[in-house]
Amino acid sequence: MGLLSKKDAKLITDPFADNNPITIQVLGICSALAITAELKASIVMAISVLFVMGVGNVVISLMRNIIPSKIRIIVQLIVVATLVIIVDQVLKAFAYELSKTLGAFIGLIITNCIIMGRFEAFALANGTWRSFLDGIGNAIGYGVILIIVGFFRELLGSGTLLGFKVLGDPIEKTGVYALGYENNGFMLLAPMALIVVGIIIWVQRTKNPALVEEQ
Amino acid sequence: MSKRTESNLYTVLFATVMVIIVGALLAFFASALKPTINENKRIEKQQNILYAMGVNENDETSAIFVSKDKVGEEFSKYITKQIVIQGGKVTEDNKAYLIDVKKEQTAEKEGKQRRLPLFIGERDGKTFYIAPIRGKGLWDAIWGFVAMDANMVVKGAYFDHAGETAGLGSNIKQRFFMDDFIGEHLKKDGKFVGIAISKSNNDPLNKDKTDNEVDAIAGATITGDGVAAMIKSELRKYVSYFNTLKTN
Amino acid sequence: MEHIELFFKSIFIDNMVFATFLGMCSYLAVSKKVSTAVGLGAAVIFVLAVTVPVNWLLDQYILKEGALVWLGPEYADYDLSFLSFILFIATIATMVQLVEIIVEKFAPALYNSLGIFLPLIAVNCAILGGSLFMQSREIATLGLATTYGIGSGIGWFLAILAIAAIREKIRYSNVPAPLRGLGITFIVTGLMAIGFMSFGGMLTGGDEEAKDTSKTEAVKVAKDDAKAKKEKEELANNTKEIKE
Repeated sequence: MGLLSKKDAKLITDPFADNNPITIQVLGICSALAITAELKASIVMAISVLFVMGVGNVVISLMRNIIPSKIRIIVQLIVVATLVIIVDQVLKAFAYELSKTLGAFIGLIITNCIIMGRFEAFALANGTWRSFLDGIGNAIGYGVILIIVGFFRELLGSGTLLGFKVLGDPIEKTGVYALGYENNGFMLLAPMALIVVGIIIWVQRTKNPALVEEQ
Repeated sequence: MSKRTESNLYTVLFATVMVIIVGALLAFFASALKPTINENKRIEKQQNILYAMGVNENDETSAIFVSKDKVGEEFSKYITKQIVIQGGKVTEDNKAYLIDVKKEQTAEKEGKQRRLPLFIGERDGKTFYIAPIRGKGLWDAIWGFVAMDANMVVKGAYFDHAGETAGLGSNIKQRFFMDDFIGEHLKKDGKFVGIAISKSNNDPLNKDKTDNEVDAIAGATITGDGVAAMIKSELRKYVSYFNTLKTN
Repeated sequence: MEHIELFFKSIFIDNMVFATFLGMCSYLAVSKKVSTAVGLGAAVIFVLAVTVPVNWLLDQYILKEGALVWLGPEYADYDLSFLSFILFIATIATMVQLVEIIVEKFAPALYNSLGIFLPLIAVNCAILGGSLFMQSREIATLGLATTYGIGSGIGWFLAILAIAAIREKIRYSNVPAPLRGLGITFIVTGLMAIGFMSFGGMLTGGDEEAKDTSKTEAVKVAKDDAKAKKEKEELANNTKEIKE
């Protein structure tokens, strides 16, 4: 990381673990729960958020001195929404297949409070380069949790990863299914996403007791 | 933050300028890209219709359409006739596949006579009747195309959705679900009953094709019910047309 | 009847928090105490009850394809639906800000208890979610849209009230240290969501079945039997799943 000073590098590495947007800052939960039944959807969502966060943070940071504070929330929301809609339209025109995969997430990206949260907490008060790094860092921290949750839910729920039958065929009884293993359909339902995130928090805070909350 | 940005005048001015810029930007993108987007949608419709009648490039597990550059040619090769049924009157219209089912459904709600498009295809000496369907899933719209023979036995189906839950409801466009419909009967003892999505028919491999049931997707009850409901309510409208076919 | 059905459906079956997981961030962040949870919940009900009907009007008369026809027949082909996200969000943010100003001026007492939550609401995805669902589910009338808004708001209110009450009690329990606070809240919410799934059984038939009554009686009876059987089996399956 020769390009980045130590302080700047922290902007990327912090959200990755000790200041993770999902497990510590409690931001962006809705989407983390809604789309993680499948690993592929998790990855697509993580990449889209990475893009929107990076660009959005830069735009807001550039505008930070001219936004009237009274209507800053409206302005922020409109910036995100405009970005997302333009990307959606461009994809629809030039990468139609990809846009169909993404289509379902557009609402979730706009309402993703992680984006608003970082605009408000960081981009409004910091320079462009640092805001960009902050956006990327938080998006990565968010994406990592998404991918972990998606991995376990798809593996235990459908016995597949990215659509490949890694555990054998449940109907023909091959692979581990021959030993009597069954898919846990419950993993696919949204409540299990909450519980999986709960377990991730548990593991994370066991490893780093400094994060444990006061009683 | 400087004082200048706090005044009411500045706020109003800022908001106005912002609205104009954003509006112009969006309107520009929307109108500049609209022809390309519409073209993509048109191609997709043709691909879907062909898919339903079995003209596709499926490999062993995944659903693959006829490629984009070939679709126009294949469409005119396989689809021999496009008709529109409106209040018992049948007219031929080679743009019938462009009819927007959603608009027609709204028109029907407003008490107008609905136009029902039907595409007639020939492949390997067999005739396919392909009808579009549209309904509601758990989150948003779901739609598809069902290919049938003259006795209303399903010969192929394609489903799609706008935003069903990834990994659950979104599986309606997976082969394992769509292929289940092939061979399934829409009629029982000469009467139209549709196809139910069942969890408990003890027939997960769907060997029984005449039970008017296919196996459901676990965890996607409401999406599945939506599919069953749209098949039932939309295809029912075509029954009278199919009845005229049989007497011929 | 339609109103009652939609009302209860939006509170229990399509509960914003437990079924669609919207508004989770503020739900988790502001549920430490019952009193603050009540304040935020009330504000959400209010804002949803206002914004859903307003956005319904926007959708009906401006955004939908052909909605501009009231301006004259030459406008029938305009489709502005690509603007819906922006317009909905702008309405919500404006409404929230307006409500804040009005409440502050005319009901200072209410403002003192609600005020701090109002800005939080603009970023609560349950609010935008309400408007987007209203659009995608094609809710038919202004009245129904209002019912839907209020119902969804009450559903959210119930959810945050319940979790806040649980969190107040859980403080006296011996929760493993790393799970304290956020972790246990996630897990409890997951369990509550499983509980709320049982409301799904309230959804039966709907319009389609009602229309069929005009058909021969015999067919109907046979169908009802089959349906009852199916439901029973479904229930058995569900309980089995939960036990496991």
